[in-house]
Amino acid sequence: MSELRRDPIGGRWVIVDTDHPSTPGEYDYEQQIYKNDICPFCYGNEIMTPPEIEAIRDNGTYPNTPGWQVRVVANKFPALQIEGEIDRRGIGMYDISGGVGAHEVIIETPFHNKDIPELSDQEVEDFLKVYCRRSLDLAKDKRFKYIMLFKNFGTPAGASLEHPHTQLIALPMVPKNVAEEIKGAHSYFEYRERCLFCDIIRQERQEKERIVLENNDFISFCPFVSRFPFELWIMPKKHSGHFCQSSADEIKSLAWILKETISRLKNIFPNLSYNYIIHTSPINSDGGLEGYHWHIEFMPKLTRVAGFEWGSGFYVVATPPELAAERLRNK
Amino acid sequence: MPELRKDPVIGRWVIIATERARRPDLSSEPHEAAKEKLCPFCEGNESDTPSEIYAIRPKNTPKNTPGWDVRVVPSIAPFLRIEGELDRRGKGVYDLMNGVGAHEIIIETNQHIGNMADLSEEQIAKVFSCYADRITDLEKDKRFKYALLFKNYSWVAGAGIIKHSRSQLIATPVNPKRVKEELVGAKNYYDFHERCVFCDIIRQELDTKSRVVLDIDGYVAITPFASRFPFEVWILPKKHSCDFTALDPASRLSLASIMKKTLLKLKKGLNDPGYNYVLHTAPFRRQKVGYWKSIDYDYHWHIEIIPRLTRVAGFEWGTGFYICPVTPEDAAKFLREVDA
Repeated sequence: MSELRRDPIGGRWVIVDTDHPSTPGEYDYEQQIYKNDICPFCYGNEIMTPPEIEAIRDNGTYPNTPGWQVRVVANKFPALQIEGEIDRRGIGMYDISGGVGAHEVIIETPFHNKDIPELSDQEVEDFLKVYCRRSLDLAKDKRFKYIMLFKNFGTPAGASLEHPHTQLIALPMVPKNVAEEIKGAHSYFEYRERCLFCDIIRQERQEKERIVLENNDFISFCPFVSRFPFELWIMPKKHSGHFCQSSADEIKSLAWILKETISRLKNIFPNLSYNYIIHTSPINSDGGLEGYHWHIEFMPKLTRVAGFEWGSGFYVVATPPELAAERLRNK
Repeated sequence: MPELRKDPVIGRWVIIATERARRPDLSSEPHEAAKEKLCPFCEGNESDTPSEIYAIRPKNTPKNTPGWDVRVVPSIAPFLRIEGELDRRGKGVYDLMNGVGAHEIIIETNQHIGNMADLSEEQIAKVFSCYADRITDLEKDKRFKYALLFKNYSWVAGAGIIKHSRSQLIATPVNPKRVKEELVGAKNYYDFHERCVFCDIIRQELDTKSRVVLDIDGYVAITPFASRFPFEVWILPKKHSCDFTALDPASRLSLASIMKKTLLKLKKGLNDPGYNYVLHTAPFRRQKVGYWKSIDYDYHWHIEIIPRLTRVAGFEWGTGFYICPVTPEDAAKFLREVDA
């Protein structure tokens, strides 16, 4: 008998196939194979991108020239524009708002073919620090209510350029799923006066079967209510609502666990493409809700989402998270 | 300037990003992933599927033999199983229950035709009447709360390698989240305005016309104001009704006609893209009489069609925030001009 599991945060139900679990070899996924076309994110092509907003670069080198380690530029095809007013209004029964926001690209490395597992710990730490710095900088703009950091790696996962990069979108409102998550966590907090995520961490560390990795500051585990096979969450053990408030030591720990998590996945699934998203608290909101806990949700692109998931918001997972975690621990 | 638009029913914001349409990757993806094997859904191969649950077939032909028009069989790889009890339970902070449900495959033609767009209107009408019969039958099982009817056309849309037109029906023991959000959104609107939100949408769309693709015989096909995907199309009955199964036979033929035309426009205009569609209809209402008190007035069944032209990145799944690279107004204009 398969199981239906309910996400304690948003209340979503997921079908987990505990009957005939799929092994890694059964996933016929689309691999990310580098084509190595001319790339605007490579050394020497800095002129092909909009001017750089920030960079970690060698002393004595100039902006928009080689010599950088991490580089931030505006998205050339932005989903939102930085100038203008939000101008919320109605058109008949519909609501509309100006597409005001920031859309930046964080180029994680000058090397076209180096994904996170191939970078040094220091290099990973560097771009994570840039994540924080950009978040803090954009939070100063009072028009923005949410900063979303996400990475699409590989064409199958929706990346339009293969050179490793992360995107940052600053939004004038809180995205729906995040808002629901925050609301869910808040009502749990109201009821029990404890953080739901801290409770999850406690239970996971006790049961151990879904934990993949753990260090001083973080755990990496396959959530009980995974939506995708081999889905992973990386969560700080210390209760904290905002990613960008992480200390330098925490960023160092995070760099290790992120790199190690992805390495293990890619050992099982060669040339895997994936997405991850940093879930963090909204900014510039009055009051703010208690009981939220930032974390990274990591989704390997192994399956294609079909009509059932669209229509229902129900997900079907063919590999139970307990099995996925076991495979990843032993890798 | 890109726009942020809010879905009036469930409150989801969508970025309509006209700038991004210039991106090079907006094209339909290759269809084939692997070689097709012998098709178990074709007439003559009835013994290759599990035994049929239902069929539209002449009286004198026995079960699981040729001669049928539409045929329903259980899925060979069911997400949920029909036997057993739910046994709801907790496990620390987590809740779970047994995976009880029904998972059926509706084979829409006895010919090896892949796209519903290529079936006749009469055949599509038969498929719709089969949908209604199956949903009505599953409602009798008191363990189920909802029957979700959907189609995955082509590999990119999540179908298997067999290219034979079919849809799937899954009966679930809980109301799915996405369905519930829509029901709650529609009810909230009704409580405030005492009008159906979908009827208001239809009225405004017919008035402004810029997002109307087709308007025929009691049905409209529109590109929704807050489209999540390029060329997303919704088909709605103009006459208010919350329940698809209550449709009369004449109206089924009109629905088949607008469905075929819409799918043909997508096929011709966008180079036969993969697509999904999902029937949005009222949940089973046999229990809790008071619970769905105003649903007959506040909810409005419809079909949502999503062509699979872009790859959905994980962040759109994760955040519920969509970036649509084609404005629904441009999409509607384009589709209106495709001959079908």
